[in-house]
Amino acid sequence: MSETPQFAGKVALVTGGSRGIGKAIVLALAAEGADVAFSYHKEGRAAREVGAAVERLGRRALALPSDAAQPEEADDLVQSTRLKLGRVDILVGNAGIGGPTGWEAVSLQAWRETLETNLVGPYSLVRAARPHFAPSGASVVFISSISGLLADPDSLAYSVAKAGLLSLTRSLALALAPSVRVNAVAPGWVRTDLTAKLHESPRTRESIQHTIPRGRWGEPDDVAAAVVFLASKMARFVTGETLVVDGGNSLRWTAGSGD
Amino acid sequence: MFDLSGRVVLVTGASRGIGRAIALELGRAGADIAVHHRANAAAAESLRAALVHAGGDARVYSGDVSDPEAAARMVRAAGEWKGRLDGVVTSAGVYRGDLVEAVGRADFESVVRTDLEGTFRTVQSALPYLRKSLHPGVVTVSSVMGAHAGVGGAPYQAAKAGVEQLTRALALELAPRIRVNSVAPGFIRTDMNRGGHEDPAFHAAIVTATPLARWGDPDDIAPAVRYLLSLEADWVTGLVLGVDGGVTLR
Repeated sequence: MSETPQFAGKVALVTGGSRGIGKAIVLALAAEGADVAFSYHKEGRAAREVGAAVERLGRRALALPSDAAQPEEADDLVQSTRLKLGRVDILVGNAGIGGPTGWEAVSLQAWRETLETNLVGPYSLVRAARPHFAPSGASVVFISSISGLLADPDSLAYSVAKAGLLSLTRSLALALAPSVRVNAVAPGWVRTDLTAKLHESPRTRESIQHTIPRGRWGEPDDVAAAVVFLASKMARFVTGETLVVDGGNSLRWTAGSGD
Repeated sequence: MFDLSGRVVLVTGASRGIGRAIALELGRAGADIAVHHRANAAAAESLRAALVHAGGDARVYSGDVSDPEAAARMVRAAGEWKGRLDGVVTSAGVYRGDLVEAVGRADFESVVRTDLEGTFRTVQSALPYLRKSLHPGVVTVSSVMGAHAGVGGAPYQAAKAGVEQLTRALALELAPRIRVNSVAPGFIRTDMNRGGHEDPAFHAAIVTATPLARWGDPDDIAPAVRYLLSLEADWVTGLVLGVDGGVTLR
């Protein structure tokens, strides 16, 4: 088979790349040959480690401090990427927050923060990058969640923002065609810092695992591989799609039934 | 990434069109291919030769998947080739675009028996061989018409909708070990729909309706199948992946 890096000569910009799913995406894109710029919030040390790992893969890395809750910072991210790495071919809107717990008492501020980070942020990123996309074509991938596909009153604001992100994916796919493809990945239960409390408690970990037909939690690499596929020429006729990466979690007519 | 070295994959309906492109792509990714055809031995043999020439291993198997017994025989033969199947791709299918009044009993039956039951029987017959694989995967082939209606070919659309639900039902029932996913191609230039893409007006209408502004080629579909069969998609099951240039977005 051809082992040619899929992204040789290409530049990717990934938001929220210092840990979890974003870190796995940064490393997977670099392993396939891309130079990668990524934003991080507060975690300077983790970001430096990710940057060093990219460089060990023989690619250029650019770690950019940024607050994803401030969508206006998207312009700076894009400008820095262009200035330092020369172009933007692949955009991955990954930065996100879990938002407030529950549905009964979500404050206006929590709504704003969750929607601005998880929904307006990804939109702003595309808006900022659009004039600078490589003329040969570009690819955008948003990281949503199965929480955006199913009911999730335990994380209402998050769920609504992630559903909005899937809608954004479809509309931008139409608006930016044919030169730019826009797709989403909707992960299920993935082991990250965001879900640490859940997978570190044996009881919760197992009760969740029980609802996953594949019988295991997801790993950040499961999601990163889907991003590589969607961003690559392998998916050249795929746009506006949501690639669910959840071990089959969203298949059941009620979570946990059929056991 | 997306390497399939050492994997044994049965591709049904592989003599031409999308099935052929899938067989070639999986072969390029390192898989050995059981090439299935119904009535096109010459094309299947030329595909086998191409796969072997490219450095892979391939064998030809024939049979009509609309006949459950023939499907079982064919799958069994393909499974016995290497003693296991790591992948099954059910690309065999027929299309009929008749308007409702013109659909005779035989027309309906041939579509449903080939596209829906043929997919089911192929997977069912393959289970003993998939169970011998470390990383078994199935990819069915649906269509944009499995979830989006068009005028003409109602039985075909219903059969493809059935294939999509079959994909989800099998994904759940065959979990945790065997993954089952589907690709739903858009308008693709193949022999099967030559009538469509060779008609200038219809050709232009599809280009206009497709956001990526072109007809798809079989080579556009094949890499999605490769991804879904790969270890990198180990946590993907029950998915119907549209590969349609965005034609279903509006």
